[in-house]
Amino acid sequence: MTGPMVRADGVRKRFGAHEVLCGVDLTVDRSEVVCIIGPSGSGKSTFLRCINHLEKISGGQLYVDGHLVGYRRRGNKLYEMREREVAAQRIDIGMVFQQFNLFPHMTALGNVIEAPIRVRKEPRQEVIRRSKELIDRVGLSSRMDAYPAQLSGGQQQRVAIARALAMRPKLMLFDEPTSALDPELVGEVLDVMRDLAAEGMTMVVVTHEMGFAQEVASKVAFMDEGQILEMGPPRELFRDPQHERSRTFLSRVL
Amino acid sequence: MEEKHTVLPASAGRTSGEDGPDSEDLVVVPIRHYGRWIASAIVLLFLASLVHSIANNPNFLWPVFFEYLFSEVMIDGLELTVLLTVVAMIVGISGGIVLAVARLSANPVVSGLTAGYLWFFRGTPILVQLIFWYNLAALFPVISIGIPFTGPTFFEGSANDLITPFTAAVLGLGLNEAAYMAEIVRAGILSVGTGQDEAARALGMRRLLAMRRIILPQALRVIIPPTGNETIGMLKMTSLVSVIALSELLYSAQTVYSRTFETIPLLMVACFWYLVLTSGLTFAQSVIERRLGRSTAAASARPNWLPGWRRQK
Ligand SMILES: Nc1ncnc2c1ncn2[C@@H]1O[C@H](COP(=O)(O)OP(=O)(O)OP(=O)(O)O)[C@@H](O)[C@H]1O
Ligand SMILES: [Mg+2]
Repeated sequence: MTGPMVRADGVRKRFGAHEVLCGVDLTVDRSEVVCIIGPSGSGKSTFLRCINHLEKISGGQLYVDGHLVGYRRRGNKLYEMREREVAAQRIDIGMVFQQFNLFPHMTALGNVIEAPIRVRKEPRQEVIRRSKELIDRVGLSSRMDAYPAQLSGGQQQRVAIARALAMRPKLMLFDEPTSALDPELVGEVLDVMRDLAAEGMTMVVVTHEMGFAQEVASKVAFMDEGQILEMGPPRELFRDPQHERSRTFLSRVL
Repeated sequence: MEEKHTVLPASAGRTSGEDGPDSEDLVVVPIRHYGRWIASAIVLLFLASLVHSIANNPNFLWPVFFEYLFSEVMIDGLELTVLLTVVAMIVGISGGIVLAVARLSANPVVSGLTAGYLWFFRGTPILVQLIFWYNLAALFPVISIGIPFTGPTFFEGSANDLITPFTAAVLGLGLNEAAYMAEIVRAGILSVGTGQDEAARALGMRRLLAMRRIILPQALRVIIPPTGNETIGMLKMTSLVSVIALSELLYSAQTVYSRTFETIPLLMVACFWYLVLTSGLTFAQSVIERRLGRSTAAASARPNWLPGWRRQK
């Protein structure tokens, strides 16, 4: 397939009466890295969670790899997917959380092999071999058997990235992956993400790391009050923001 | 010398009157709690006289106590008590897990029915439930399993054959326990952060797989200590099934003393065995809790929790 990896058409999300996303349009091409920036509460996390159906959208349409997320279209009707089908869709979408969310009762290796073995039902030995390579790739081959509580924040987040990659996703979502980290640990996580981008992984990254966005992103989207106000290559958006609100936001963070 | 007023020279007698003894000779004398000693002595004296009077009171019939302590009838009762406790707790814990998961279900019928179950079983006395199960045959003479109203039956049997005193006891104790365990398991599940469930779902896990592999193992930390209490409670609760003529420990004692009228010594035998069993369970519980406590203490200095029984490889 050659269409975009993610296509959002007027995506809306309401929590009760509170409209958090009011028509988000966004296209992410294959091997593209899109960074989403914007003030707190603007709906960045919510939009990211809609992409892998952790939140159900209340309006608009959302496609990943050409397939509607969470719905099946027959004629001009949308049928809600069953839990099994939603779970199957998520296999191709990796997600990395601000709070890491590693499984504390499993070792680093245990965290990485869990889903490939239990969900993809791949042979154990093969999964272990591949997972060790992944952990090695994020620079933690010596901490394979450590439990999350024995790892630093940066190490935990790198394990979390390896855990998501073990499912061989087509798309990776990052929700402020470095915001919970001590400043000196941010770099090691960004390095891993930079390598991943260089290998051609499609990524949507919510971040406050403007340096990373400037260097790695092909597009930066500025989100405010549930809408993408403007979007463009980082160089242009950072140098010459068009909107008043993006200008004030950027003047504070740059 | 002023600031060393609790420190006396080792050989106070010999050096009396001398100031500034060698510091190596100093001995620390702790405060003497004379009041405590006196109070303890009085209490121990009372206790000793109580034990003495019980031990020498012919009305306690100590020879009878020792005669029945290891008698076959009491040991059989003991075995049945242990068996009932184990089986009822297995029913209670597995039922509790199912009920807790059902209680948290998104399906309103499922969670509503579960709430109704808890309401009924926690709201009626266990003694009444036991008698009810025992008399089930009077209400439903024939028990059949099949498709309701129309379909074929897969299984049919007389309730009198199916509901023996033992099955009635297991049903009564187990189903009641399940209601209590459900609340304990639910609290455990809710103690695990939502981030864990989201991480599991983001990896493509389905609800039940995430529950089994991710949520429940972490919930154990909260579930295990009260489950120990429940088990000790169950051990004593099994004595209630004496009302449906099941010869567990208490009923065994009753059958003997209804014949010999040696009520007190036989009740003492039963109490002795209950105490032995609860002591064993209490010890096991404290060992498990110490392990859990160690892991939570270690984790409190760190951001995440690490279960102790996994840490020692
Ligand atoms: N489950 C929910 N129920 C109700 N309101 C919610 C829920 N999740 C998010 N919201 C609301 O939606 C709005 C957007 O939240 P969101 O987390 O997407 O913001 P964000 O842009 O990621 O902010 P931040 O930079 O602080 O992470 C907030 O006002 C929040 O209170
Ligand atoms: Mg957020």
